[in-house]
Amino acid sequence: MSLSKNASADGKTLTIQIKGKFDFNLVQSFRQAYAEVGNQTEKVVVDLRDTDYMDSSALGMLLNMKKTLGDSVSSIQISNCRPQLKKILQISRFDKKFDID
Amino acid sequence: MLILVVDDQPLNCRLLQTMLEHQHYEVLVANNGQEALDLLQDHDVDIVLLDVMMPVMDGFETAPKIKEHAGDVYLPVIFITALEDHASFEKCLHVGGDDFIHKPFDRIILSAKIRAHARTRKLSKEAYEQKKQLEYHYNQIEREHEIVEHIFRNALSGQEDFADLCDYHLSPASMFNGDMFLMAKSPIGGFYCLLGDFTGHGLAAAVGALPASKIFYTMVQKGMAVNDIAAELNSSLNTLLPGHMFCAAAIVEISSSGRNVSAWLGGFPDIYLIDSDGQMLKTIESQHMSLGILDEDEFERNTLHFEVEVGTRIVMATDGIIESEAPDGTLFGEQRLIDVLSCKVDISTRDIIQQVREYSGHKEQQDDLSIAIINCLPDCSTEALPPEYSTLPFNISISLNAEQMRYTDPVLELVDILSKVEGLHAHRSNVFLLLSEAYNNSLDHGVLGLKSDLKNQDDGFIEYYHQRARALENLKDALIIINVRFSPEEYRIIFNICDSGNGFDQNTNTQHQSQQEHGRGVELLSEIAQSVTYNQVGNEVELVYSLR
Repeated sequence: MSLSKNASADGKTLTIQIKGKFDFNLVQSFRQAYAEVGNQTEKVVVDLRDTDYMDSSALGMLLNMKKTLGDSVSSIQISNCRPQLKKILQISRFDKKFDID
Repeated sequence: MLILVVDDQPLNCRLLQTMLEHQHYEVLVANNGQEALDLLQDHDVDIVLLDVMMPVMDGFETAPKIKEHAGDVYLPVIFITALEDHASFEKCLHVGGDDFIHKPFDRIILSAKIRAHARTRKLSKEAYEQKKQLEYHYNQIEREHEIVEHIFRNALSGQEDFADLCDYHLSPASMFNGDMFLMAKSPIGGFYCLLGDFTGHGLAAAVGALPASKIFYTMVQKGMAVNDIAAELNSSLNTLLPGHMFCAAAIVEISSSGRNVSAWLGGFPDIYLIDSDGQMLKTIESQHMSLGILDEDEFERNTLHFEVEVGTRIVMATDGIIESEAPDGTLFGEQRLIDVLSCKVDISTRDIIQQVREYSGHKEQQDDLSIAIINCLPDCSTEALPPEYSTLPFNISISLNAEQMRYTDPVLELVDILSKVEGLHAHRSNVFLLLSEAYNNSLDHGVLGLKSDLKNQDDGFIEYYHQRARALENLKDALIIINVRFSPEEYRIIFNICDSGNGFDQNTNTQHQSQQEHGRGVELLSEIAQSVTYNQVGNEVELVYSLR
């Protein structure tokens, strides 16, 4: 389980990648990952390509991020979900609040 | 230096032999053409002095046979002649004679002629040796190329043909031009392409392709991001290749929706995004140095991300295209490529290659034209067949005391164990969710007695996190029992989690509240599980999960 972040070459996209499981144990590092979002960041991508597991606390953390960042970014995208994780996001209607790819 | 004197007159023979031996040549003597040919079979003769008129076989008949015997190496035949008429000279030359010496013999002229022809013979011998060596090496290289091509064909052709997603052209000898094109799909449906161009030509340029392709396929199989793939390729090539060799590369991933593109470009010509009419949407320049140059700590992982309309096409081509030359030396260039792209709807790589070839006047040597066009389309690969399940029913029961709750992560360990049961791996995310929700509910609210409404306040998550850690630290005399029953006949897994907490009364606020605040968790449980049942007290929950 780990978290890494990466700014795109033009600095407009921040990508947060979560490996293994996305649950309450990540609460601090996840918050830190988006705490430094600057003015030039237009988009945040939460890349779940390496995420096997998530639970409702991960959903809570995503909502918290959305609340914190508010309108300072134009979109928050949750990308590369495995089918079962996508279903979890759909059950929770996250597709209404996030751009799920 | 061995000289063969062929003359039927013993006096001439002796005279020549004496003169030549005096100049430190070895001498053989034959009395007619047939004897001479017999001697040639057994001796490596360097020069033949040949009389014209002889019994058994005369000089005119012998000369062509000597030349035939000599084959590719120059064996000088010098006619010994008393004849003076031009017709005879001409005949001597016609049958293969290289020179004449006249009777009576002049020692100095003889010596000069022998030396001149000896030199030519020596050069011819050397050239012949070199030619043999060249032939040997040429055959060797041909053979090695065949072997390498075979290996590469097998290594690189493991890839599927994604005809809908990708149209590409690689010249037949691309391997030895250092060009490489790889493509693969990740388990979550992302489509990855790599077009690479190693420096140099020949076998040396090809060697990097083997490790590169292996890394690419392995990492795509794991669904890694393009910058992770680039970093791994870079460090591998940096270690493997000599300093002056590297690989310009474009690595592109199209997400399974076909709407998002990530790209890492190093030392590569611009790539283009076009619509189906070929109109230019976006030009993307390389942001990085080629692979195999920078050390790991200098390597730049920044990736380009952009959203595209479904149906957008990505064009990438190695510099062979834009550097193609017209007969007058002008380059094809980027602008011509851009113009060609928009010259018709749904242009194919074959159209482009044809135009480049026409431009360059079909010059054969320009054979490193590599180009790929990728279509951004949603993943439509069919779902995998339903898995086979283990037929062995089992129960797992785990009792955790306070100490174990503090220091273990039973959910993940249990999921790992269950994932190893045949057929259950595909369900691991759901199994994790059910166990995690139920266990954390038992731990947080049952055993630790935390109130989840805290999470709704600003920064409540962090505060909750700290409270939870403190409560766990002080926890004594607690118990959580997790029971997992796998029932293959019913295609079910039944989870039962109970705790030593007080539970909750269905009529009190606590339960009501807890359901509200935990709306998401409860909703998820009831959607993922077939049934969710609490006991009367509220400290035990049974979840039935259907594998179908």
